[in-house]
Amino acid sequence: MRRLIPIALLLPLLVGCGNRNLILTIDILSFMDPGSRTVNYGPIPPTPSDTVEVFSDSLNLLQGISDVTRVMSASLDVAASFDNASGAATGEVLIYFAAADSTNPFTTTPIASIPFQLLAGQITNVSTHIEASPALAEVLTHDRAKVGLRIIFNGTSFPILGVETLTKLTATVIMKKDL
Amino acid sequence: MLRNGCLAILMLTLGLPFGVAQGQMLDARRLGMGGVVTSDVGDYTGSNIAFRAVPKGTGGSGSIPLPLGLIQYLADHPTFDSKDSTFNIYEVANVLLNPPLTIKLWQPSEVTGDISIFVAQDSLKVDLADVKRVIPKDSMKQGGVFHVGGFSKSFGKVFLAMSPLIHVKNELTLSDNLRDALRDAVPFTGNTRYGLKDEARAQAAISFQVGYALRALYRPSPDEGQNADPRRNGSTSLYLGAAPKYLLGLAYGDAHSIAGATTGDTLFAGSNPVTIDMDTQTRHAVVGGDGGMGSGLGSDVGAVLYWRNFELGLGLNDFGSQIRWSTTVRRHAYDDSTNQFTTTEVASGERFVSRIPVTTTVNVAKRIGRTTIAADVVNGDFRTSMHAGAEFWFGMLALRSGLSRDQNKMAQFAGGAGYRLGKIGIDLAIATNSRNIERERGAELSASLSLY
Repeated sequence: MRRLIPIALLLPLLVGCGNRNLILTIDILSFMDPGSRTVNYGPIPPTPSDTVEVFSDSLNLLQGISDVTRVMSASLDVAASFDNASGAATGEVLIYFAAADSTNPFTTTPIASIPFQLLAGQITNVSTHIEASPALAEVLTHDRAKVGLRIIFNGTSFPILGVETLTKLTATVIMKKDL
Repeated sequence: MLRNGCLAILMLTLGLPFGVAQGQMLDARRLGMGGVVTSDVGDYTGSNIAFRAVPKGTGGSGSIPLPLGLIQYLADHPTFDSKDSTFNIYEVANVLLNPPLTIKLWQPSEVTGDISIFVAQDSLKVDLADVKRVIPKDSMKQGGVFHVGGFSKSFGKVFLAMSPLIHVKNELTLSDNLRDALRDAVPFTGNTRYGLKDEARAQAAISFQVGYALRALYRPSPDEGQNADPRRNGSTSLYLGAAPKYLLGLAYGDAHSIAGATTGDTLFAGSNPVTIDMDTQTRHAVVGGDGGMGSGLGSDVGAVLYWRNFELGLGLNDFGSQIRWSTTVRRHAYDDSTNQFTTTEVASGERFVSRIPVTTTVNVAKRIGRTTIAADVVNGDFRTSMHAGAEFWFGMLALRSGLSRDQNKMAQFAGGAGYRLGKIGIDLAIATNSRNIERERGAELSASLSLY
């Protein structure tokens, strides 16, 4: 990541002057392994609750941003699609962000929780916008971060079987100069 | 570390145009005439050394600036504290480009607004919004030759002069890819080099000059009478001037730099997604240090012809001027594989001759009664400017107007008035200019006293 310094240098040069914001939009999904965006779940047997950990990944972010900028706010847009073959359930998608030195992102408090309801043979799309998350802002201005996605199923009809695809994971960080 | 680097880049990038401040005219009479120079308007002897021999006419012999802009500046000026939320480096740069000696009537809107950056693994798009205004379409060229202060003393047709001389120039060129990415928000792409090249040079010397200016040709006019002013007596007169100069070089430095970042197949893949190249070759000499002082010769030459109240002048300043130095040459290269700079001394004590670029001034003027119509072309390092203007006298009141083409190739307009009270007059001028980091049109009010 040291080699991103020239790009990072441009940012304070351009934004570090004047009372203006740097709006940094990061398509986190594009940094993830394509294979980890999709997970087959099930068959989930009749149990009160089941948890599927979709992925836990480490991201390279823009080095040096935190040196010269001060985060004002951060938001996150998340979308996922469930192609549910059988069964029915309610549940929630949980998004976790953690510092790179953390061993497991799932030990932190989830940044986002998206409720869903699945029916057999139906495709269900869910999405949410998380506004002004200080934890997200803190994580995204470091060199690296860890991200995790967990799905909790509360089944009502079994077996639950299908494919979950993460379709959008975009963070928007608004920063001000700090020269 | 990064913070220091950012500030250094800011100052380097925005500090380079400061030399353009020389375009600011404090003589309201000249400014009101569009900045035109003649033998009795403007800097009189600085543009054409032959003007020294021309008898003082009715048009004036000097001016004293009235820096009214300082009052405006003291009442409202930008902060220089980078910690202040209102700090804006572009405003600070504009203060240096436009020293607050004239009253700013209007200025380009300040560079502001949010900047948006979109980052994906294989995509980077930078939308600078308002900041695009400070990125030129072509290379950024700044510089000039500055004769700062000094003094001169005339002994009849001979004069002696000593003045510091500073020559600075810089040309920063962005590669097409980088310019498109910054100016037009074209997304950065893989396997592409985003580079820049910079050519910088600065030298300082003290000029010791002995000059001689005389009337070389004279044919009186039947209408001449007691009027000794060749501008208005209809005579045919040719004035010539020449002033060789010895240049005592104090310091010289140049740097030729190229740098770039070449993206890989994917913009942000892997730990080292871009390959950086940086290579700079510097040459320097400085009195009291490497190479010591330099020495050289140069000259100012000029001629001005009057014919039937028509004036045609040609002035060449720093004609053939060059300085010999004993220089040290070093190369600074960045090794991408080791992430380190290495400095190699290429030569020590290498003889090098630097040039001071010639400034050429061609002026024409026609006097009809008390009216003056004039134009000039000034060609110097990096810039050619043109001015045209007229002055009309009605009793003690003068009205002036003019236009010019400035170093940014923009048309500028001017107008003004003056009132003469015996040997002194007061002048006001309103003129537009593009002496700002945005290279957009602003306007100023200048005031000065004229000496007649």
